[in-house]
Amino acid sequence: MSDPVKTDQPEVTTETVEVAPGEVVAQRSVDVRMSTARRVGIGVAIVLIGLVTVLGLGLSAGSGSTSFDLNAGDVGIQLPKVNVPGTVTVIVLGILIVLVGVWQLVRGLQGAALRWAGIAVALLFIIAFLTWAGSAGKQSVQIASLLQQTLLLATPLILGAMAGVMCEKTGVINVAIEGQMLFGAFAGALFGTIAGTWVGLVAAAVIGGVMGALLAVFSIRFLVNQVILGVVLNAFAIGLTGYLYGAVMAKDPTGTNTPATFSPIKIPVLGDIPVIGPLLFDQNIMVYLMYLIVAVIDIMLIRSRWGLRTRAVGEHPKAADTVGINVLRLRYQNVIIGGCIAGIAGAALTIGSVGQFNKGITSGQGFIALAALIFGRWTPRGALGAALFFGFATALQTALSLFQSLPVRIDSDLLAMLPYLATLFAVAGLVGRVRAPAADGEPYVKG
Amino acid sequence: MRSVMKIAAVTAAATMVLAGCGSKPGTGGGAGGSGSGSDSGTGTASGKKISACMVLDTGGVDDKSFNENSWAGMQKAAKDNPNITIKYVPSNSGTDYTPNLTKYAQGGCSTVIAVGGLMGDAVKGVAAKFPKVQFAEIDNSNQGVSNIYGIEYNTAQGGFLAGYLAAGMTKTGTVGTWGGLPIPPVTIYMDGFWEGVQYYNKAKGKNVKVLGWDEKNQKGGTFASSFTDQNKGKSITQSMQSQGADIVFPVAGGAGVGAGAAAAAAGGKLNLIWVDTDGCTSAAQYCKYFISSATKNLSGGVETYLKAASSGNFPTGNYIGDLKNGGVGLAPYNQFDSKVPDALKKEVDQVKADIISGKITITSPSQPK
Repeated sequence: MSDPVKTDQPEVTTETVEVAPGEVVAQRSVDVRMSTARRVGIGVAIVLIGLVTVLGLGLSAGSGSTSFDLNAGDVGIQLPKVNVPGTVTVIVLGILIVLVGVWQLVRGLQGAALRWAGIAVALLFIIAFLTWAGSAGKQSVQIASLLQQTLLLATPLILGAMAGVMCEKTGVINVAIEGQMLFGAFAGALFGTIAGTWVGLVAAAVIGGVMGALLAVFSIRFLVNQVILGVVLNAFAIGLTGYLYGAVMAKDPTGTNTPATFSPIKIPVLGDIPVIGPLLFDQNIMVYLMYLIVAVIDIMLIRSRWGLRTRAVGEHPKAADTVGINVLRLRYQNVIIGGCIAGIAGAALTIGSVGQFNKGITSGQGFIALAALIFGRWTPRGALGAALFFGFATALQTALSLFQSLPVRIDSDLLAMLPYLATLFAVAGLVGRVRAPAADGEPYVKG
Repeated sequence: MRSVMKIAAVTAAATMVLAGCGSKPGTGGGAGGSGSGSDSGTGTASGKKISACMVLDTGGVDDKSFNENSWAGMQKAAKDNPNITIKYVPSNSGTDYTPNLTKYAQGGCSTVIAVGGLMGDAVKGVAAKFPKVQFAEIDNSNQGVSNIYGIEYNTAQGGFLAGYLAAGMTKTGTVGTWGGLPIPPVTIYMDGFWEGVQYYNKAKGKNVKVLGWDEKNQKGGTFASSFTDQNKGKSITQSMQSQGADIVFPVAGGAGVGAGAAAAAAGGKLNLIWVDTDGCTSAAQYCKYFISSATKNLSGGVETYLKAASSGNFPTGNYIGDLKNGGVGLAPYNQFDSKVPDALKKEVDQVKADIISGKITITSPSQPK
């Protein structure tokens, strides 16, 4: 179970797969001694980012001071706006990034320390960029709104990615997240209108589960190529929901396509914390459900018997079978649960957010969720981080386009690329090599 | 296992056949489409018998937007004059345009009407191959071809009125507009809106700001990159609200409905102006947030064309819908009727009259020529 060590990397590498409860089953490469080339390469890259910040952003920043608004609306405790001088702040932040790079050059950070250094560089750069964007001084940078929108945009992605985790950790590739979400969104809107939002939520989960069961039956029992199967299921979902929309919803929109949406519920005490309170603890039930699902999957996958077995089945089904785990049954179960979660992800769009279904409402978000899963190294936490980052970059795209006077004009077409570009860089810089569960996409045939 | 697979395969095949039937209601008489106009006609037959065929763009006949409205014009013409028979075919993607147009041009249609400016090249190509068939294209000029009739709309004029109205109604001094994609049929509305606000500022000595679009910077602006992603639409609208906007003008089809959700979440602090159709009809559940709508009378344009065609001679050149001929305009204020001050209503009417008389010049580069 070891990857061939690349010849240009002379470091000693030990890779372990720990299967005892309490440890992540993931191949961890522990660099005992980092090669000089790698150390210098990363260091130089960080220094370059710092220099771009100082020279590119710092010198082009407007002469005004940047104002950061941390209040979400005019409710709750109001914080004063934070005003900082534009150019100076950007340059100081840029110099900090350069210092991190120099530190890396000298000390050769590795493992977790390097990861944290990467996160620090990313954060410093984002703050510098926001300062630069607001440095014309005419509009304040709405930090609270930016984070609110991040969560709004990321919630369906996170749920979709969790659906992917459920399936792929157990060895079934789920390309059909998009289709499952579409069905969930449709069922949520339809049953949400007819019988109330809670029924809509349950219906979305059920119909998502049915789609998951289809995926499970064809991939596990009939051994159909899982990627192609996913594509087919997506086409099926687009076609059927589109047809049903025309046949049912378009005829009587009031009676079938005007579900109520869940209203925000404020958690006492926690909801009163400035900035974080309204952001995290004054949300609707779909967001709380998302927290719960992420936490449960994250804990269960590592700490429970089910999690151990799931990971074993996803990594080495034959070994799992040998010790008496019912491989196929576990796969069926997990793929169907995954489908349910994807259905809920779809419902997060209709009854969780906008209160109406339209054809193709998911608009490719299922695929973004799939990407978040992969960028997040097939772990719940990683997928959460990747989905949040994508949501943030999308919210940032909108926020930037609303500045009437950016120091430099940016094309709307270029801005439209931002979420994808930023995610790519973040993945390349922070995530590095990713490895799927070993048996992902491999059907298991006994014998 | 084999037999189960066989049953599954047969079922799947049967589903596809059924789905195939479902996707062509124009010929089968399914959802809303009626294959022959004679049985539904209530008007009196006049003129020549013509068969009018419509190639729809993606989105389907029930898109509550340009496909549906264009088809409504066909239905109205057929109802008034039983000599006009109508049918349509939807396009599932851009690659369907040419085959659909060719099929209808070959299939005995006297006129083929293409819906949407995206079909421009396809229409030009097919029209050259079938010089005896009369074509018409909505949202595009005739491209200098004699057997194409262009049906265009100067929606900047309606957008101008919407901008003036928004500037007059805002309490925060900031309004916003955003689009689906940065393409001329979208940005022309945003141009008009922007100009309307500037005109208001100049006339009143005010300084109402426009978020999301600046006519002088055609490469900027705020876009959802989608006409279907409602959640993104909601997010954009809420971001505009956080920057102080209290009236937003979304130009993004289905994605724009998300702005309605943002308005509902804002609980009255944010209102909207709808686009293309009267919002109180096409997105009725958000009617109480719609101050008005900048409309584009697609059905009227199609109907006028068919009436002229059935009288014997197919019209040539281009039809440009504007404020003067009612092709574009401002919808009723509906639930805002009592909230819009009478003085402002009069001013909007005056601005409309000034645009028609040419006293106000609209400078949008996307206007039809």
